[in-house]
Amino acid sequence: MFWGIAPSVKARLNTAIVLEIGLPVLADNKKNDNQEPMNIFLLALAMILVGGALPLLTYRWFMLTKCLSVGVTTIGCITGFYSIFSANADPASLAWSWPWLHVFTLAFTFDSLSFFFLLPIFLICPLAAIYSCFYFERAENSLRTAISYFFTNILIVSMALVTAAANMPTFALVWEIMSISSYFLVMYDYEKTTTRAAGYLYFLFAQAGALLIFASFGVIFSHSGSFDFAQAATIPESVKLMVFLLAFLGFGSKAGIFPLHIWLPHAHPAAPSHISAIMSGVMIKMGIYGILRFYFVLGATDIRLGQTVLVFGIISGLLGVLYALGKHNIKRLLAYHSVENIGIILMGAGLGMIGVAQGDAVMAGFGFAGCLLHVLNHSIFKSLLFLGAGAVIRRTGTSHVDQLGGLMKRMPVTGKTFLVGSVSISGLPPFNGFVSEFLVYFAAFQGLQYSQSTLLLTMIAIISLAVIGGLASFCFTKVVGIVFLGEPRTENARRATEGGWAMTVPMVLLAGACLVIGIFPASFIKLAFAGLADITLLGQVNTVLVATIGAHLALGSRLFLAIIFFVVLCRKLLYRGKEITEGPTWGCGFTRPTARIQYTGTSYARSVVDFFRPFVLIRETEVRLQKIFPKRTAYTSRVDDIAEAAMIYGVAFPLLAVLRKLRWIQHGNVQLYIGYIIVAILVLLLVLFI
Amino acid sequence: MESLVSIGIALLSAPLFPGIILKVKALFAGKKGPPLLIKYYTLLKLLRKGSVYSSTTTFVFKLGPLVSCAGGIMILLFFPLAAVVPVLSFHGDVLVLFYIMATGRFFTIAAALDTGSPFQGMGAAREAFFGTLAEASIFAILILFYRMTGALSFGEYFTGATPISLTGPSGALLLLVIVALFMVLLTENSRVPVDDPATHLELTMIHEVMILDHSGPDLALIELGSFYKLYFYAAFLTLIVCPLNPAGGLLNLPIFYGVLVLIYVTIGLVESTMARFQMSLVPKFVLASSILVVFAAILTMGFI
Repeated sequence: MFWGIAPSVKARLNTAIVLEIGLPVLADNKKNDNQEPMNIFLLALAMILVGGALPLLTYRWFMLTKCLSVGVTTIGCITGFYSIFSANADPASLAWSWPWLHVFTLAFTFDSLSFFFLLPIFLICPLAAIYSCFYFERAENSLRTAISYFFTNILIVSMALVTAAANMPTFALVWEIMSISSYFLVMYDYEKTTTRAAGYLYFLFAQAGALLIFASFGVIFSHSGSFDFAQAATIPESVKLMVFLLAFLGFGSKAGIFPLHIWLPHAHPAAPSHISAIMSGVMIKMGIYGILRFYFVLGATDIRLGQTVLVFGIISGLLGVLYALGKHNIKRLLAYHSVENIGIILMGAGLGMIGVAQGDAVMAGFGFAGCLLHVLNHSIFKSLLFLGAGAVIRRTGTSHVDQLGGLMKRMPVTGKTFLVGSVSISGLPPFNGFVSEFLVYFAAFQGLQYSQSTLLLTMIAIISLAVIGGLASFCFTKVVGIVFLGEPRTENARRATEGGWAMTVPMVLLAGACLVIGIFPASFIKLAFAGLADITLLGQVNTVLVATIGAHLALGSRLFLAIIFFVVLCRKLLYRGKEITEGPTWGCGFTRPTARIQYTGTSYARSVVDFFRPFVLIRETEVRLQKIFPKRTAYTSRVDDIAEAAMIYGVAFPLLAVLRKLRWIQHGNVQLYIGYIIVAILVLLLVLFI
Repeated sequence: MESLVSIGIALLSAPLFPGIILKVKALFAGKKGPPLLIKYYTLLKLLRKGSVYSSTTTFVFKLGPLVSCAGGIMILLFFPLAAVVPVLSFHGDVLVLFYIMATGRFFTIAAALDTGSPFQGMGAAREAFFGTLAEASIFAILILFYRMTGALSFGEYFTGATPISLTGPSGALLLLVIVALFMVLLTENSRVPVDDPATHLELTMIHEVMILDHSGPDLALIELGSFYKLYFYAAFLTLIVCPLNPAGGLLNLPIFYGVLVLIYVTIGLVESTMARFQMSLVPKFVLASSILVVFAAILTMGFI
């Protein structure tokens, strides 16, 4: 290879980096001379908490409540940003600890990885909060809105603390606060049965995931005897694989990896749109954070870890986008795209882990950097898309893709920003999605030089990534084409109008961010590498190589824009003085077209979904023309998730059947219950003493 | 300088070659056929005209031709035409370029859906589907070439230290690539047996139906973009079939264009002798190409 690894590279990387990110220091406040960044960070969190608590007091004045809460939250998040930037110069300053319940210590430390994950939190949440001003428009729901603000801000604070938790009790505490506050956010429309079902499902998956995570904590504790994450690397190598797999499944159910994703497509349509944006854009990334953090603290270099993560990534990516194609509820579709993007993120992480196992610093660096940058990119474009979808749903009253149409003319800002988000999420240049996918590709191609299983897996990864990209652009041409282009298919869609500035400004900002990362990729690639600066497991990647890749990607996207601009100029010249007329769309000889004959999203996606039939369940019911006096014909089709079907018929129903047989134990007789307790104690004592 | 000359020739001559296909088809059918410069006449005719826009359409409709044409120009800038070092090149440019082509397809499809016509929607669905499958073959080819040369750019493939060559140590694998790439060429450029550019029924079209509503200079841009795309694939195939020495400079041009014409003639021959596939057979056809390349890539593992 032409890039060697220089020992002084780390120093150079740090100076070259926009964000200089500090080393973690165990919490010991006495040693800190400068507590200022820590104080600012805690001030930011306190402000966000106040911003959440104030609405509970002022909910009778609806407008005041919204302005106060959103204002204080936004300032709090900006302060949080400031504290990250100011702490870069003095890395030791951002750590603190408290004793808790006389037994545990609540300790928080930061390193480059936690700083990187703080970025989307402080970036997306205030924008979602501003958007909520528009979204919560009914004053009669004032109290409920206030409660929603309260839990939103608890969620923001708990997510920020998850990235900093330094030992197991702390992590467990903030992780649970995060899960439970987001559960209350999903339940905003609790009168609806579907919302309650979605909330229950989410709760179930969040808690089952937490159980697995705590189980892995238990295994670590039993070997290391310490709650500290820093001691986790000392456990025997043979246990590490099991610990990592437990944690991977636990965090995976939060992140939404296939087949543990089935709460996502239910919870997102049920939650308010800006909550979906926060949950899908930021919260599920905490699952990714957990996987990465666990991998790094365990320090396991077994190649099987990387292979497992990569395979799960490929499966989530492919099946996520496939189900997205089959879904017609716009928010459910976006939820499946989260599964897809989590797949891409995991593919980056898996390639990075394989790189670590192979001792290949370039492959490891680019894999993890692609993973991190995709976390940031996905948080930007996915929240943009959810906000756009929320605007559409609010303005038309329907979330079914096939009942919309022609919204580009009626909601121009939403339409244009949604188009930007769609091109970005499809991973197409010159927008941001491509930059991170390129890094993942780069790591994968790096892996092609090895043999056997690594070669085969990276080959599959590259082809899957290409197919995922193709299917994602297929799916988003469907959303853009059916929802925003063409003629409106229903009266509701025809009457839709643009919302106020509180709705459009966040979307425009997010769309701008997509383009900025696409045109100036170099500094963001550096930022992603800076996020890995404190990970001792990774060798240093040549900074020159990183800078060249950034410069080349910048060249690619800028040149493409320049050529488009050139062609636009030519087109302007060619059309000078020409006659331009308007007419109806050519109906191919059909003289009385209606909006209903337009191609629907269902038929658009049908051929692909059919092609992948073994992996998707298509259910059709059809009433055909029969006999002399036929009945009215009808046709419905739906695409079902195999993971969901397997979980219902393979797990839930058998479990219910077994439990039903045990129902006689629960008879309501208190005396007998006390008898159970006595018997249980006796049996336990017997077991203990024999 | 040489690079600029060769790209200049390419940009100007690209509309000539589809005329060859038409000529071959006509001769095969025992007709005289249109003049060789027919595509230039068509372009000039279109450029002189104004446009009719459907009242349904938005700015997206106008973006379609722009982005697809820009993508076509961009990819030629990075391609070593006639094995002359390309104007621009960097490690990884193939990924950027194939994704830029995909951006072009995204906007072509969006423009088609913008008209609200059911036929255009149908064409768009097919284009998106087959395009996705073809992408798998293309990336399989990139994997194989990376295994063979360690390179990730067109420049390095054909003008680098270890250029791809049929006579090289693993040149036999390229035979599989040639077949697969030809199949991808037919798919990506909407030729028979995947799509029939000369058909008359909208229901059976793929690419043609998507651009039904474009007219005047917009249509000219689409046509130009598709000429560049076809030219790129044919040139790619040419350099694999007939490896040229980069030291030859512009002297390579006659050989390069000779082989290029042969490839267009082959396309014409295929179109004259084959019928268009039933739509349900097309995915199998495209998948066959990717299986060929993946097989070739597996062979590079060297089991002995």
